Amino acid sequence: MGRIVLVCRLAARDLRRRPAQAVLVLLVIAAATATLTLGLALQGVTSQPYQRTRAATAGPDVVVSAFGQNGGSAARLMALARAPGVTGHTGPYPLANPVLRAHGHAVAVQAEGRDPAPAPIDQPKLTQGSWVRPGEVVVERSFADVLGIRAGDRLTLNGRPFRVAGIAVTAALPFYPMESPGQIWLTRADARSFAPSAQSDAPPGQPQPPDFVLNLRLADPAAARAFANAHSTPGLAMLAWQDTRDQDATLVTNSRQDLLIGSWLLGLLAAASVAVLVGGRMADQTRRVGLLKAVGGTPGLVAAVLLAENLFLALIAAAAGLAAGRLAAPLLTSPGAGLVGAPGAPSLTVPAVALVAAAALAVAMIATLVPAIRAARTSTIRALAGAARPPRRRAALIAASARLPVPLLLGLRLAARRPRRALLSAASIAITVTTIVAVLAFRQYAHNAQQGYGMSGLPNPQTTRDSQVLLVITVALVVLAAINAIFITWATVLDARHPSALARALGATPQQVTTGLSATQLLPALPGAIAGIPLAIGLDAAVSTGQALPIPPAWQLLAVVLGTLLVVAGLTAIPARIGARRPVAEILQSELA
Amino acid sequence: MSDTGSASMLRARGLRKEYGREAGLVRAVDGVDLDVAAGETLAVMGPSGCGKSTLLHLLGGLDRPSAGELWLDGRRVDQLTERALARLRRAAIGFVFQAFHLMDELTAAENVELPALLAGCSPRAARRRALGLLERTGLADRAAFLPSALSGGQRQRVAIARALANDPLVVLADEPTGNLDSAATLDVLRLFDSLHAAGQTLVIVTHDPRIAATADRLISMRDGALVDQTRLTGGTTGHLGALAGLEG
Amino acid sequence: MQQEVVLAMLAKEPSHGYQLRARLGQALGPVGDAMNAGQIYVTLGRLEKAGLVTSERAAGLPDRPDRKVYALTAAGQQRVADWLAEVSWPRPDLAEFHLKLVAAAAARLADPIAIVDAQRRELLRRLRDAQRAAMAEPDRSDAALLLEGIVLRLQADLGWLEACERNWTGRRGQSGATRGES
Repeated sequence: MGRIVLVCRLAARDLRRRPAQAVLVLLVIAAATATLTLGLALQGVTSQPYQRTRAATAGPDVVVSAFGQNGGSAARLMALARAPGVTGHTGPYPLANPVLRAHGHAVAVQAEGRDPAPAPIDQPKLTQGSWVRPGEVVVERSFADVLGIRAGDRLTLNGRPFRVAGIAVTAALPFYPMESPGQIWLTRADARSFAPSAQSDAPPGQPQPPDFVLNLRLADPAAARAFANAHSTPGLAMLAWQDTRDQDATLVTNSRQDLLIGSWLLGLLAAASVAVLVGGRMADQTRRVGLLKAVGGTPGLVAAVLLAENLFLALIAAAAGLAAGRLAAPLLTSPGAGLVGAPGAPSLTVPAVALVAAAALAVAMIATLVPAIRAARTSTIRALAGAARPPRRRAALIAASARLPVPLLLGLRLAARRPRRALLSAASIAITVTTIVAVLAFRQYAHNAQQGYGMSGLPNPQTTRDSQVLLVITVALVVLAAINAIFITWATVLDARHPSALARALGATPQQVTTGLSATQLLPALPGAIAGIPLAIGLDAAVSTGQALPIPPAWQLLAVVLGTLLVVAGLTAIPARIGARRPVAEILQSELA
Repeated sequence: MSDTGSASMLRARGLRKEYGREAGLVRAVDGVDLDVAAGETLAVMGPSGCGKSTLLHLLGGLDRPSAGELWLDGRRVDQLTERALARLRRAAIGFVFQAFHLMDELTAAENVELPALLAGCSPRAARRRALGLLERTGLADRAAFLPSALSGGQRQRVAIARALANDPLVVLADEPTGNLDSAATLDVLRLFDSLHAAGQTLVIVTHDPRIAATADRLISMRDGALVDQTRLTGGTTGHLGALAGLEG
Repeated sequence: MQQEVVLAMLAKEPSHGYQLRARLGQALGPVGDAMNAGQIYVTLGRLEKAGLVTSERAAGLPDRPDRKVYALTAAGQQRVADWLAEVSWPRPDLAEFHLKLVAAAAARLADPIAIVDAQRRELLRRLRDAQRAAMAEPDRSDAALLLEGIVLRLQADLGWLEACERNWTGRRGQSGATRGES
């Protein structure tokens, strides 16, 4: 028991000595956990609202649309209404496809003819205004949102003026743009007036659009899919309610997938940051470790203290990330305007909380384990002498660097002293570039999709949402990458204090030393940045279901790589210049050989 | 202090170095005037904390004086920019530190050739020069050894070879034997002796009287100021036998 | 020349006088250069009188001390064994200088600091000589070892002189030049 108290006390004191570093570790892990929380919060977010909408609108179990000739289609639909397992039906309702013009947009819509009286199955629930009247239409809400239509607006259908009586939601169809074209309701008479023969915009020789739609209720709603499969015939389109629900959910599923991948990447980057930070503190810690061991602490105690600090920080970061994610989730989890009500802040299930906490702890563990074990194994005498990890020697690199100009000579030799840090640096840059390229690729995809979507230049809500999510991920990742880069550059400059001062004492100018330190960072950053591009392509290929994202144009890729390198060079130059101002003698006195 | 005028390799007038402010003001070097002739070996002695190391750092351009003037080979150097000072150090000043300050991951030869590489020498020429210097310091067979494999005296000799890499006008040594035992000190002394014989100007800060005894001129510092100057001319009153306990 | 040293030199085997001198010279190196050659023979004579050494005239050689052959007696052997086992060390000689300074200060005959400085310069000169001799010797020779001992002793003495200087400077500062001290 006493040992636990001792470990806690030592850990607490150490954290208090370096508050800034502790806060940085906290921020890093919190960013990763917040993203993970968002990803988890999106899980199943639409299944609840869909059920609510279904209940509120008495949603049908199966929606049947009939193609083909007038008389034959109605008769076939009525035959279905009497099929075994069907307990009720409404319709058949006439369908038409006029062109709607409003607010400067022109789109083809699906118009369904309805009765003014409420139907027992699939009565769309009004969120604004009132139900259909002659000369007045009701527009489906997600479609209305895209067009910017409100109750009371005026629009034209095939040139004829109509007024918008109201806006409503339905569970019978997936919301726009899953269901394309958009949905409006009119009176039966108005719908029939747009009969195919009366349509002036129908291209000649094209197959006839569906004429009627029928809503069915089944004895066993769960068997809707089976029913649809059993009764599907050419000329009939059958839509089970589960499919509608899943379609609605895809809007969110993609976002969730992106967020989860994003949080993996963030987690890796966070681990790299923490690793560098902890490794950088090792030199400072070595002496303390030596003292602990000299007064009788076992290697286990030493490792425990180090782990305790970081695990403690990780737990706080997990809590902070969970809170931040929960607060930010409503922005991303609004399930689409097509379902009843916003779900509010999604409740976090216990497994989700546990997963986030475990992820945070895992990040801290991974990053701390190696230094902790090494600290525990360091011989006590060496630790007391304050000898940090001695630098590695790479004879080939040293010989090769002799031929280079002075800044590159210094940069290469300094980088070769700490190969593991160079590797971490390259990995972090690679991850950052990967994400930026992924975002660019997505924007390219959205752009292409927009082109192909055509019609009226309306924004595609799905891609809008996806790009919102990617924006969140990119911002978080860039912030994290910046912190990471700052860590690594500070650690490098600090570690290189003695060699830099010595180089200056032996005749290197301060500018050469500063440039050399930048080179130390750029040498691993360059392959890292270049590797980020194929990594992004590979990641997308491995992860995306369906069509792969397009590769962004070459000039954009070049800009990303060059921009990253510039930022790295700049971030190193700042601490390097500050260090170059200190008098050489001071540094050499304080850094014993 | 006699002014040796134009033959003076290193000249300082009124050098001052202060730290802190007001009540906490510390005068590490307090108005030092100094002349070092070409080819002379000067020893600076004094108790610890008297400012002799600070003085050496000022002479070598590793620190800026708070006041005063400094000339090296007739050229005024206390007002130079950091970059110009670096170039100066590269070409004209060799520094030997008490803590050696060798790079742990470089072999002896790589350590010695470093100043030459920094000055822009070709790698081959730098390596050749380094090996030559190591031979001169008696470490030719250790050229490929890392500092961790060398004894203290050998490390310091490597450091001295490094200080000579660019054929400097003056070699400044800060407590070169401070971390060495008496056998290693003798090796270093022999080396300084051979440098002196070759005409190298040396300024050595030390509290080891062994080094002081072999210098041409010996100055003492206390509390940042020079207090004494000695030339050890003339013979002694006894002979070695008496020192060892042999009568007559 | 201490008697026991000469006895020990004979312990290996009987030697001629000149051989003894040669052996001593080799062991002492330049330190023994100024040694009085005759001292050895005087010592040998005393040892013979004390019964620790016997001497013989070598056949065919003149009766001169350097040509005689000397050998240890049993008593001499015992004396050497006892001497080797002794752990006495050369006596330090600090009291004389210390009292010199005290007397000079008390009687105001001279400035103690000046005395210390003068002594320091002398010791430094001796150090210089010993050092030069040491550098001329090959490493690890007997003479080099002896010279190192001389150098280290002088170093220690110089350290004490620095302490004297600090101490007497402090006293002068405290009490002023006009008042006397104890």
